[in-house]
Amino acid sequence: METKFKEILAQYTTLSADEITESTRFRDDMALSSLDFMTLLGEVEDEFDIEFEESDAVGIFTVGDALALIGRKTGNE
Amino acid sequence: MSELIRKVMERSCSEFAEIPAVRWLEKKDIRERSYKELGENITLIRKGLLSEGFGGSRIAFVGGSSVWWVESYLGAVTGNMTAVPLDAGMPAEELAELINRSDCTGLFIDEAKKDLIPEFSAKCPALKKVWLLNGEAGNAETLAVLMDNGRAYDGDAGSSPDDTAMIIFTSGTTGKSKGAMLSQNNLAANLEAMSFASKPGVVLLNVLPIHHAFCLVMDWLRGFDKGAVICVNDNMMHLVRNMGIFRPHAMLMVPLMIETILKRIDAVKEPVSKPEAAQMIFGGRLRYIFTGGAHLDDYYLERFREFDIKILEGYGMSECSPVISANTPVAYKYGSVGKPLPNMEVKIAENGEILVRGSSVMKEYYNMPAETAAAIVDGWLHTGDKGYIDEDGYIFINGRIKNLIILSNGENVSPEEIENKLGVNDLIGEVVIVGENNGLTAVVYPDPDAVKAGSLDEEGIRNGIQAFLDEYNKTQPTYRHIVGLRLRETPFEKTASRKIKRDRV
Repeated sequence: METKFKEILAQYTTLSADEITESTRFRDDMALSSLDFMTLLGEVEDEFDIEFEESDAVGIFTVGDALALIGRKTGNE
Repeated sequence: MSELIRKVMERSCSEFAEIPAVRWLEKKDIRERSYKELGENITLIRKGLLSEGFGGSRIAFVGGSSVWWVESYLGAVTGNMTAVPLDAGMPAEELAELINRSDCTGLFIDEAKKDLIPEFSAKCPALKKVWLLNGEAGNAETLAVLMDNGRAYDGDAGSSPDDTAMIIFTSGTTGKSKGAMLSQNNLAANLEAMSFASKPGVVLLNVLPIHHAFCLVMDWLRGFDKGAVICVNDNMMHLVRNMGIFRPHAMLMVPLMIETILKRIDAVKEPVSKPEAAQMIFGGRLRYIFTGGAHLDDYYLERFREFDIKILEGYGMSECSPVISANTPVAYKYGSVGKPLPNMEVKIAENGEILVRGSSVMKEYYNMPAETAAAIVDGWLHTGDKGYIDEDGYIFINGRIKNLIILSNGENVSPEEIENKLGVNDLIGEVVIVGENNGLTAVVYPDPDAVKAGSLDEEGIRNGIQAFLDEYNKTQPTYRHIVGLRLRETPFEKTASRKIKRDRV
């Protein structure tokens, strides 16, 4: 799951896979706009066949936060 | 000329009766409403509101774009009621304040927000009734009941051209948002002035927030005026997916969306060419993107030409219902925001500020006579933007006079409003909010006493303030998130009256 997520993420940032850690912040470190982030979530939904609620995006600041969310949605915590 | 939104809608619902007016997704199924059905539902909601004694009232709307939102909105404004569309993403406390400040006695609310009903009932004493736009809740009436009441009612009051059709709240530079009162004629005149041709049945995809004047008037009202099929993007997460599903011919977007989609096109790898990627992403039929709300760099206009998509930039503000000028398919100049609409006069003041007057300029700010007097002087609305008009009559914008941050998603943010909220934290001595990299950054001078009391080093200060900002962000709509933090070692430079010199930050 983590590898696939990082592959998708690589299309949204100039950071290399090695530079992305669980504490990497989407806005501050990757310079993703709010809409980049929402589009990323849409792509993750399609890839993992899951559905996010609008409220799921609240409180997701880091790669670790996102992985935990995907884990909860896919039942792979 | 139609001076009433009701006349516009009655003509469209009759002339385009069999064409789909709205399409939306329920799970993976596409649903649609014809113009005939739309007209019937609007009438029933209007009569329902009148039957329940809401004639002449102000009615708030809290929810995202949906067929039920727009039918209820039109139920109100085709009668003699004033609609007050609010940003559903705002904290409940701020929504309650706006419901109170606009003296709303009724509220339409989305099922997703129904948990807020008890808070509104407690904090908004004038609120008499809440209707649920979809679904059911014990403490609100359903649309089905409202429409049944309308079916049994004989009266059908309408409005006059000067009656206020809606109040749109805009960011104020003093930190208090102002309610621009737009009359029936203000809105109808703006629709009429956007006269360039469009065939009935043209497909639009609505992606902007419906409480914004640009979206509400130019996507929905103008779309209905021209017999368009308006498709609802259910969530910004699904923008790319939904463009493929609904295959729009034209879209209204803010610059941030155009910038974001281009990044997705550029991320598609060989052997797929960029124009092929664009066709895939846009659904293969998109020819026009209308944009406004913030400046879009010419680079994007050039890039989209490669995909055979013309981006037409316009200029407006809520106070002008909202369009002041626009490039059109037949009259456009890159870098400009187009020529003034036929019903608008534009001139440049000595200090470079753009001044506007015409039939789309608002009546006033609701219950704010001093702010109205400052904004409309001798009949001319002061836009707060600086610009010039070239020899061919095209307007170019080149700066701002008022202190608002314009983000590329078109949202106007009042820095003072946010600074007042952040200032309550003990660690924050002084703070200035600036717009950087498409988002908001807090520049903070930490409070020396709090730093000393906590024996904090720079990392400790940063962590303490960042934790506070993360909590603040959770309570705010995305566009008001603070995404950057800069610390400074010295207090901000001040004027003689102890105001921070923002241009020196």
